[in-house]
Amino acid sequence: MPATQLPAERELAELIIAAVNLEGVEPQDVDPEAPLFGAGLGLDSIDALELALEISRRYGFQLRSDDEENRRIFASLRSLSEHIQNRRTT
Amino acid sequence: MFWSQGRAVSARELMRRAAAVAKALPDGRHLINLCEHRENFLVACCAALIRGHTTLLPWARAEGAVEEVAARHAGSYRCDDDMVRSACENEGPRAASASASPGSSSPDAKRVRIPGGDGADYCAFEIPGTRVAVKAFTSGSTGSPQGHGKPWRGFVRSSSLNAMRIRDCLEPVHGPARPWVVATVPPQHMYGFETSVLLPLLSDMAVHAGRPLFPADIATALEEVPAPRVLVTTPVHMRAIVASGQRFPATALVLSATAPLDAALARAIETRLSTTVLELFGSTETCVIATRRAASEESWHLYPEVILEPDADGVTVSAPWFTGPMRLQDIVERLPGNRFLVRGRNSDMVEVAGKRASLGDLTRRLMAVPGVRDAVVFQPDTGASGEVRRVAALVVAPGVSTESICASLARSIDPAFVPRPLVHVDSLPRNEVGKLPRERLLAAIRDPAAG
Repeated sequence: MPATQLPAERELAELIIAAVNLEGVEPQDVDPEAPLFGAGLGLDSIDALELALEISRRYGFQLRSDDEENRRIFASLRSLSEHIQNRRTT
Repeated sequence: MFWSQGRAVSARELMRRAAAVAKALPDGRHLINLCEHRENFLVACCAALIRGHTTLLPWARAEGAVEEVAARHAGSYRCDDDMVRSACENEGPRAASASASPGSSSPDAKRVRIPGGDGADYCAFEIPGTRVAVKAFTSGSTGSPQGHGKPWRGFVRSSSLNAMRIRDCLEPVHGPARPWVVATVPPQHMYGFETSVLLPLLSDMAVHAGRPLFPADIATALEEVPAPRVLVTTPVHMRAIVASGQRFPATALVLSATAPLDAALARAIETRLSTTVLELFGSTETCVIATRRAASEESWHLYPEVILEPDADGVTVSAPWFTGPMRLQDIVERLPGNRFLVRGRNSDMVEVAGKRASLGDLTRRLMAVPGVRDAVVFQPDTGASGEVRRVAALVVAPGVSTESICASLARSIDPAFVPRPLVHVDSLPRNEVGKLPRERLLAAIRDPAAG
């Protein structure tokens, strides 16, 4: 049974699905603790670029990928959402 | 000279590490370089050169690809970051410089010195020019991947030509100052290998060890190194840079390769970064053989001594430092003054029901249809002679129907070239350098959900 989504996580799921044109996936069905890249949602680095752009437009800050933090922040919808909530300016 | 994890690493230090790793390498003939970190990758390449082993660069790092490459080469072994690190740690503080492996006694072997980048003429290693330094595998846009052995002297010559073109761009403003390369591309593909491994090794250019992805990371990496800065990147990253609000430090030059760069994007980058964009033309087989200023030039400026012999299906390329003439699938037209135009790739020109069209052109028209965000047109199968082989297309066009897309397209092309099937996908199945391998295109029309 996947973990319950917080409202911010649902909004992020919608953004991700729209940004990378993921057809056949509903925002409410994205397990917030499942992987985003590789397994789980199955995004790759090209998707990451699209995503970074949409996130900067919606939340007003630039995504980065320092080595250590990267793995943690992008590990799941939940971790990415937390990161965004901490950094958002809009 | 490298910039790595917040500090500068000298050429001398890198060569010391290479000597340490060379001692630790097993006996064998082929080193499969799987290092993820750029400086370890370079150190491992040097270690292989010292030991006389050929570095293998598989077309992918997926286990299946590595296994296949290993199976095809006797005496092959893997080298990764852990192996490089532990060899450097286990070496004592005063590593004796490794003696070069016995060179070929053949009279035409060319001995080449690796210059020190920090003022001193540091050279512990001499590499015979005929040694097959690297065997690179092309990604296989048609059929299974091919290996290409590349002798050391070929790299030396072609790298000096690369450095010369870069210098031509930098010298007017920056004089002889040491350029710093920041690359968004990995070192194990030929573009990244030439620009982020060979340039620091064979010229006085320095390189940032990182591999930034997002515009913010690219800006940070550029800020970490001094001017003049050279950004080595691709159209995919350049699009993201232009679309972002990210501020960038002064960048003297931007290099582009791996996918065609249109003049509008080149101009946008030149404006955003107050820079010059130099596009590189080359291949895994030939390395770079020509350049152009993409913002303002349509024609390519060929390297000296490179000879092109175009024909209907492609072009034969020769140069004194090649192992032999090489064939590219590009349709080119020679121009005076050592220049040429690219008219398309052979695989770009297709025939349907006796008529000819360019896939590139069809793709551009498809992308111009309202609502289509990304698209590719290709010809799926060869079929028996006499059969009509239609072109197919993948589109990223949420909410726009196949019927309306085809109707739009049919307004400006011969009906024979309207794609069938035209399949909606979430994204085009690009690989890690942004290319669209044929097998992925074919898989996507068979099963769009897997694309």
